[in-house]
Amino acid sequence: MKTKRLILISLLALGALLLSACSGSRAISNNWHGLAADAEHAYVSSGSFVYAVDLTNGKEVWRFPAEANSKLLFYANPVLTADGQLLIGSAGTTHPFFSLNPATGKENWSESFTKGKGAWLASPLIVNDTIYAPNTDGFMYVLDMNGKEASDPIELGGALWSAPATDGSLLYVTSLDHNLHIIDLANGVSDQSIDLGGAAPSSPVIGKNGVYAGSFASTIEFVQSNGNHDVVATTNNWIWGSPILDGDTLFYADLNGKVFSLDIASGNQNWEAVQSDAIVASLLLVGDQLYVATEAGNLIALDRDGKTVWEKPVGGKIYSTPVASGDLILVAPYQAEFSLAAYDAQGKQAWTFIPEK
Amino acid sequence: MWDTIIINPMTNLLLWIYDVLGHGPHMFGLAIILFTILIKVITWPLNASQVKGAQAMQELQNDKEWQEIQKKYAKDKEKLAQEQMRIYKERGINPFASCLPTLIQFPIIIGLYQSITRALSITPFDMLKLARTIYPFQNVEGIIPLNSKFLWMDLGRPESIQILGFALPTLAIIVALTTYVQSKLTMPTSSNPNDQSAQMSGMMSIYMPLLLGWFALNFASGISIYFITSNALGIVQYAATGRANWRNLLPGGNKNKISTTKKK
Repeated sequence: MKTKRLILISLLALGALLLSACSGSRAISNNWHGLAADAEHAYVSSGSFVYAVDLTNGKEVWRFPAEANSKLLFYANPVLTADGQLLIGSAGTTHPFFSLNPATGKENWSESFTKGKGAWLASPLIVNDTIYAPNTDGFMYVLDMNGKEASDPIELGGALWSAPATDGSLLYVTSLDHNLHIIDLANGVSDQSIDLGGAAPSSPVIGKNGVYAGSFASTIEFVQSNGNHDVVATTNNWIWGSPILDGDTLFYADLNGKVFSLDIASGNQNWEAVQSDAIVASLLLVGDQLYVATEAGNLIALDRDGKTVWEKPVGGKIYSTPVASGDLILVAPYQAEFSLAAYDAQGKQAWTFIPEK
Repeated sequence: MWDTIIINPMTNLLLWIYDVLGHGPHMFGLAIILFTILIKVITWPLNASQVKGAQAMQELQNDKEWQEIQKKYAKDKEKLAQEQMRIYKERGINPFASCLPTLIQFPIIIGLYQSITRALSITPFDMLKLARTIYPFQNVEGIIPLNSKFLWMDLGRPESIQILGFALPTLAIIVALTTYVQSKLTMPTSSNPNDQSAQMSGMMSIYMPLLLGWFALNFASGISIYFITSNALGIVQYAATGRANWRNLLPGGNKNKISTTKKK
């Protein structure tokens, strides 16, 4: 009978293991990396740690926390502030919001919000010494630069996955609830919510008297500050990354792997460049080169006419938006041997960063 | 392979039900309940076969010939096994008839579990995977993201209710209770004190509620909704056969039954 009891317990334990392996808890178990950079360091949020990497050689400068904490996970793009803070929130089972010293990785302050239950996937935006931090619980938290709540959280609804954009007087926040919310910075009131027709996972880009926002409705909409809105472009698949506005030219990409250039003055499409794989990351425009990172793990440089200048296989899958710092283009591939790679403008790899165990 | 055969169809069915319901607040919880009912209906023959097999084994435990060979060959395991096989053959009983359906259902339970968690996709990476899972006919733009609110719960999180500053895991308690009730109702009564089947069932009625209660405590409450619905349907199904042993729910209920049987 003891044997049978052992077998029974073992089977139940196996069942528990199988189901546990299926990852059902709300704790976020996996996502692609967040990335930011200043003149000296790249900052990579990758699971249990935020890493600072020396841009000259790709070596680790510090990691936060020093020892992995099973309750903390980091996936948002860290944000550098003008007063020398590095801000990032946790997407683990607990959700503190941290301010770090970008030079040392030491914690300046951390704040846990009583109302906030959601993970931090979005980067915050700093406007006039106020931190606007969107959370997946549907609230945007308003903090002073010491992490204290400057005013009540603004309830927007839906999960907020991306940083707000501002024209100085209004905040524009996209949400997975299909809406683009417009908030008056003067009074912190969300007085308009514009239905984009699909979930909007990335930040809008500021245009003339409004914003351009992509969504899972496979459209780019121009939303004016007064709430009027029009579809300016349609694609055949979801638009995940943020568009880029350069003068009168809007660049954007979709999950079908197509990169588009649109003349917003005339509404005519300038060109489309078809890549071999889905594009989730936002595009990056540096000088005359438009950088495209594909899910298949390729980094592609296009010229302003959509012609391929070079294409490099980075490895893994790239979902994080590339970041430029000095002469380097930084890419954070997911499920690759390394967490970060640096390329120059000619596509030559400068270094890769592999976190030490 | 697993995704193509199990996860994708299940996830799409779940999302389709959610869409038909209007994909508003509370509708995903309702979709899980309807989905569970549908799965239960589809697997009804398997459950019925399981009940029938368990009943046959239970009756066998009270059979005189069966009890005699247990005593006679108590020290000769090989001979006992031969005799048991002979009786199984003679009476057309498949000793695995009660556990095989459970084994077949296990992938369905895991698939359902994964479908629910995939549908709730809480990270961009999960969302991307979900996007590749959804069949073209679905109203994908309309239904994503899912509204995970159901009653007082967020179906993507473990559930608890704050009472006097203490987080009471109500769903975990209900899951454990309904699992206990279901296993007790279906537990065989036996006049044979050495009946291993009854002893195993007795152990299951303790371990299973603890295991599922632990799941409910730690994992997305959408899974708890599935467990509770499934348990409730299991109880109803078993009660409908007229074989539910309600006395087992009372302390010492099984012993009373055994002594009653002995007197007869």
